[in-house]
Amino acid sequence: MSFRVDDLVAAAERIAKAAREAKDELNAQDGRLGDGDLGITLDKGWAEATALEVDDPDLGRYFLALSKAFQRVSSSSFGTLLATGLMAAAKGTKGRNAVEYHEVTDLIAAARDAMMARGKGELGQKSVLDILDALAIATRDLNDPGDIAEAARQAVEVSLETFRNQPAGLGRARMYGEASIGLDDPGMLATRHMVNGLISDNSAP
Amino acid sequence: MKKILNDPAAYVDEMLEGMIAAHPEIYRMAGQRVIARAGAATRGKVGIVSGGGSGHLPVFTGYVGKGLLDACAIGDVFASPSAEEMADSMRAANGGAGVLRLYGNYGGDVMNFDMAGETVAFENDIESTTVLLADDVASAGPEEAGKRRGTGGMIFAFKTAGASAERMDDLETVTRIAQRTADNCRSLGMALTPCTVPQAGTPTFQINENEMEMGMGIHGEPGIWRDQLRSADAITDEMMDRLFDDIKLADGDACSILVNSLGATPQEELYIIYRRAATRLQDAGARIVMPLVGRYATSMEMTGATITLCKLDEELETLLKEPCHCAFWTVM
Repeated sequence: MSFRVDDLVAAAERIAKAAREAKDELNAQDGRLGDGDLGITLDKGWAEATALEVDDPDLGRYFLALSKAFQRVSSSSFGTLLATGLMAAAKGTKGRNAVEYHEVTDLIAAARDAMMARGKGELGQKSVLDILDALAIATRDLNDPGDIAEAARQAVEVSLETFRNQPAGLGRARMYGEASIGLDDPGMLATRHMVNGLISDNSAP
Repeated sequence: MKKILNDPAAYVDEMLEGMIAAHPEIYRMAGQRVIARAGAATRGKVGIVSGGGSGHLPVFTGYVGKGLLDACAIGDVFASPSAEEMADSMRAANGGAGVLRLYGNYGGDVMNFDMAGETVAFENDIESTTVLLADDVASAGPEEAGKRRGTGGMIFAFKTAGASAERMDDLETVTRIAQRTADNCRSLGMALTPCTVPQAGTPTFQINENEMEMGMGIHGEPGIWRDQLRSADAITDEMMDRLFDDIKLADGDACSILVNSLGATPQEELYIIYRRAATRLQDAGARIVMPLVGRYATSMEMTGATITLCKLDEELETLLKEPCHCAFWTVM
């Protein structure tokens, strides 16, 4: 099975809706470990992404346009990291009109690696990178959108659970040290909202 | 807050409009919050871009001009520009020979400029390189020199790399010149009073009437110590001692020096600092080349000064003396 630009456009709409609904909650969660604007970053970025005029079937160019939407509206580090992940997906799908679902795992892994390099982060530091790593592993060898959606949902929850009681090791949250123990990482929570939005019709993307 | 403005949210855009209205022969808008040299990019010339937050004029936008920068992306006061603005600055500077990104080592700026470089490589096939200024010795020790923030050293790097690009050197050469200049610069600042970011409305830090802070960063980042205000000679001696600890000058070495106002400190006091600093350089056996004394890299209306030393080899000295022209600095 494969997905095309039309599927991604519909997926972006679902993520944008989830981001809009989560805005205030995410701002409040980010306010405990960051500067409290993560909900705004996410909402603005996906609103911009869903306002794009799409008339090109090339998946690479669509992912590039998504990346540029985040580059345009946000100069915050999380916005730039998302733009980086989307750019990695653009490179992985350049010149193609359809991508098989079993390639989703590779796209997530490429995004994880590019974001790791840009943010100078490592796995195990309680960040969006850990949740992407869990997603890449959970979706490996799956080719059915329903299976991928369920695996992704579980991976997100397990990842949050695993890291909740560890201190933050990356970004602004790291400065809170021991005080970050017991609190979910805001970037991981943002990713949960995006993933849950994405799979809200029980398919992926 | 006591500032001459119309609307804090319009502060940066109205400042840019005024700059371009005053100097249309030097600057043009090349996108939202992107300033480029008037006229098109020179075909075959390496483009040089910089960028960062507003509030530091002439850094960054002011140094767009002949023999200096080709374009610049500018953010809100003390805030990074977006990656898209940075990408637009690189497109504006592109003459087909590649683009050097030359700016200060601040986390947000680095992440966004790297993203911008990746975007223009993917979308426009523009080759680009990066040189970061990390010259503020107060911000990290020599063993972590790569973590230092960039300050006054970027003036020297803009100048030498700009002259190198102007004589049509290739991207590798311009990058090498910029890197060597950055490696040879050391800076240190001190502050007496804070500044106020228009959209925040409150001072960036608190300090008592009779106190100074040694080593403070250009956004009010904490320094090395805070104590009673000392004499100009005592302040200058400590700054020069700390700079000499970090960069070795041998007898006869050529060295340029920048004594820079953070905004509110008057030219008179800069010359009082320079008087002592020049003596110290001469005592160390250095040959002073093209000293700069004035407002080159500011922090709004902060009171205080920075000193930058730039050790020069023959090639860097030649490039430093080449002509350049922008609204804030002309070398004939």
